[in-house]
Amino acid sequence: MKDGKFLTLGIETSCDETAVSVVADGRGILSNIISTQIGIHTQFGGVVPEIASRRHLEKINDCVDRALEEAGVCTDDIDLVGVTYGPGLVGALLIGVAAAKSIAYACDIPLIGVNHMHGHIAANYLEHHDLEPPFMSLVVSGGHTNIVNVPEYNRCEKIGGTRDDAAGEAFDKVARVIGLGYPGGPKVDKAAREGNRDAIAFKRVWLEPGSYDFSFSGLKTQALNYLNTERQAGREINVNDVAASFQEAVVEVIAEKAVCAAEEFGQKRIVMAGGVASNSRLRELISEKASARGIEVLRPSPVLCTDNGAMIASAAYYAYQAGERSGYDLDAVPALEF
Amino acid sequence: MINILALETTGKYGSAAVITEDGRVFCASSETEMNHLRDIITISDEALKEARIDKRELTHIAASRGPGSFTGIRIGVTTARTLGQMLGIPCIGVSSLESLANQALERASRESALYIAPVINARRHQTYAGVWKACFTYGPDEGTVIPVFGEKQYMIEDLLELIISDAAPCGGKVLFTGDGIDAYQDIITEAFVSGGVSDQLVFADEEIRYQNAVSAARIAFRNAAAGQTVSYNDLLPEYMRLSEAEQRLREGTLSDKIRKAGQI
Repeated sequence: MKDGKFLTLGIETSCDETAVSVVADGRGILSNIISTQIGIHTQFGGVVPEIASRRHLEKINDCVDRALEEAGVCTDDIDLVGVTYGPGLVGALLIGVAAAKSIAYACDIPLIGVNHMHGHIAANYLEHHDLEPPFMSLVVSGGHTNIVNVPEYNRCEKIGGTRDDAAGEAFDKVARVIGLGYPGGPKVDKAAREGNRDAIAFKRVWLEPGSYDFSFSGLKTQALNYLNTERQAGREINVNDVAASFQEAVVEVIAEKAVCAAEEFGQKRIVMAGGVASNSRLRELISEKASARGIEVLRPSPVLCTDNGAMIASAAYYAYQAGERSGYDLDAVPALEF
Repeated sequence: MINILALETTGKYGSAAVITEDGRVFCASSETEMNHLRDIITISDEALKEARIDKRELTHIAASRGPGSFTGIRIGVTTARTLGQMLGIPCIGVSSLESLANQALERASRESALYIAPVINARRHQTYAGVWKACFTYGPDEGTVIPVFGEKQYMIEDLLELIISDAAPCGGKVLFTGDGIDAYQDIITEAFVSGGVSDQLVFADEEIRYQNAVSAARIAFRNAAAGQTVSYNDLLPEYMRLSEAEQRLREGTLSDKIRKAGQI
């Protein structure tokens, strides 16, 4: 406690960001340290798990120090430690979990293992201070594409998810195929702004009627087939057009399904979360579709869309309020379900 | 005053040991294979309770820094770093190989073995290994080990050639220890037989063959007494091997497609 505020230390190391944050009363960000590894992994064309794990270990304690220092607090002021325990890369997750357990043990404070995806949703509590459940959430990130009903704090009901590739994975794969490189999401988004989204007719995959699930793996094949056909015919390929048309095929399905889900469950708000929530076209399209049906769309600022410790601290705070506690036997669960 | 918590998670079974000012050691071990992350705090707490030491009375945190299981190394080192950071005390890194060599010292004394060779299995004929000379000048309990061949990654065949051509001719026995025995016992035996020095070969019993925090704690105790400590941020793993991706990058065998995508 400091100045009457309950302080949570949040730790996130599920992929390629080492992130630590101090959050007051589950809502106020006092510090948000993010040490990214993107520069290291770029030379390999994607995240190399072994390198990510090594790097997390080297950075984690320094990130904790910086988070405390920037928040102007000391370890004695921390009331709770929250940590991502899944889903993610196992070698990366265990660095955060080992550190969080050590902090909880050394400082005699409670520990909460947080589902990374719940954290992404909680990022919205940090951005929109009056936001409270219930709402419908759309969580789109490098590894996940989910539509989630949130009836109350600390309760997330997944009503749809991807059956193969996540949206972010599809972006990465297509970015690689058309030579845009890693990380695919922002690069496709940027190229698409210069391209014509109606140039190439990528097939939208809606699956069976009423389903809130997704399937994006076919889009990569479509993109590959298109590129082969064009190359064989000796036609020049417009990368921006491919990016724009591909992106449209992905975001149109996501936006439509999210809005339909909100309508069916009677939710007046859609809360976006995850790295792909930063995609400019997805934001634009979902806002259009939602406002036409009287639904409000909320999203965190880009820095809170990417992996960060603050969202984990916020989710941990609400889990703690709901009476949850993790033991010292907390383990990393790489394939943790929603 | 010296009270050290030492963590050993580089092998199959994790353990934690507390060594106190008077040199007594209290140890707790994991009962499940490769359960390091789940058990590390629990076994540390058990060892502290056994020793009747409060965690705030600890003066140092030690960790076996490798070589061994990459995952295990990271769990032990991260825990030691963070406990050191939070409790405001220095850290000590211990080599898992040196720890194995020390652990085999008593057995070496009984067998009159001159050399101790801890060998950790790194798969596909690779090992992490070193060779130490056993010294018993002050009696078995106060013996020490002196490095002969440096700790590094060896092909088992290269290591054996080195030992048989350089160490064995001195006439002393060579005591092998570590989980490398489980993988390469036949290869080791065959090399000693064909070198005509099979009477100089000894294998450590299973009770002392694997990494244990007790040995790490004893080494840490000596280091602490000698002032050989580091700040938590400087306690780093000894993987003894680059990641596969870095190896390929260095050798230029990273797939063309990946390199091309990465450059753009």
